[in-house]
Amino acid sequence: MTATTYYSDEVVACPPRSGTLYDVLELILDRGMVIDVFIRVSLVGIEILKVDARIVVASVDTYLRFAEACNRLDLERDSGSTTVPELFGGGAAKAVGKRKVRRAADTVGETVRKVVGGGDEESDDEDEGEDEQQERPRKRRAPARKSSRRRVEA
Amino acid sequence: MVTDGVYVYAILRAGTALPKGLGGVGSPPAPVRTIGQGPLDAVVSDAPPELRARRRDLLAHQELLMRLADEGPVLPMRFGMVAPDEKTVLEQLAAAESRHAAALEQLAGRFEINVKALPAQNALAALVAEEKDVRRLRDAARRRPGYEASIRLGEAVTTALTRRAAAAGRRMVRELTPGARAVAAGPTVPGCALNMSFLVDRGDTDTFLTRARAFADAHREHVELRLAGPLPCYSFVSSEARPVPVGGV
Repeated sequence: MTATTYYSDEVVACPPRSGTLYDVLELILDRGMVIDVFIRVSLVGIEILKVDARIVVASVDTYLRFAEACNRLDLERDSGSTTVPELFGGGAAKAVGKRKVRRAADTVGETVRKVVGGGDEESDDEDEGEDEQQERPRKRRAPARKSSRRRVEA
Repeated sequence: MVTDGVYVYAILRAGTALPKGLGGVGSPPAPVRTIGQGPLDAVVSDAPPELRARRRDLLAHQELLMRLADEGPVLPMRFGMVAPDEKTVLEQLAAAESRHAAALEQLAGRFEINVKALPAQNALAALVAEEKDVRRLRDAARRRPGYEASIRLGEAVTTALTRRAAAAGRRMVRELTPGARAVAAGPTVPGCALNMSFLVDRGDTDTFLTRARAFADAHREHVELRLAGPLPCYSFVSSEARPVPVGGV
């Protein structure tokens, strides 16, 4: 018998989201065994460490989520039912469906801004920028790996 | 390298095979090894200099623990546990041998499943339909639009979203607890109305997840549930987070 590890992006009932580390981040950082005689990354205050991690992980996961949402956009259908001014925030979106479209529009805006004006953010913290560069290809392969590897043989 | 200490990932039963092809923390990933004497092993690597909670290091820690948990019971260490040297690790293993062995015994064949309850932000229509206060403020804001009215409406929506998510989260805990061996409240997470971990027998994880998904489906207008697991039992080993005993098990 096998048990496979699921993250929320495989859960039909919940909105799909590619970020998986974010969902268990607080467990990795705040739970798990602590042994007094071991030092816990003592050079950096733990609170700083947590905030640090949350920001980096959250932003990468957000990028991935936006990218995924963009890919799923059915432009044919959406453009048929929504005018361009509506799509980009003219007037209140009343229906839930339209709200989703607006979210997607925000997403596009966000992505474009990243592409066009991304220079600042990257030079802000070269260190983290490099981290994300390294993570991107790895992350893309992740779903396939997860389904094949994360099995528990009973 | 040696001067930076020994990074400890987990404690497990001696002889548990290390998963192949997985590195540890650091860049490039540090080779992972087991050390131990007697019935327990510790999974360690050299600690990288200036270890921080980088994304890649968190992933390395998590991936390795996931794979180890597939092999047998593990006591997962919190991220960032570094011992001064191997000798310290071995001494600790020996000193706390019976305690660790008992903990491993208790976790054998069990996994953690984490459930987070978040406000159902996509269910605004249901919220407006069901919440009298929100409806009243919405009507008011339509009659007399303006900044003040919008703030009041938005505040009411936020409050109601959180309240509904928390209430549904509590119902979820009541409904899912009978399928678990133990329950432990997770750390507070921003934006999260409820964070709860369940200790579940391996054979029950599928059923548990199915029930959790069914609950999420049935309550999607009140709460967005995020499920993660089966995971290594992070929440059921720490001395700070004593699991809440579940009656009858």
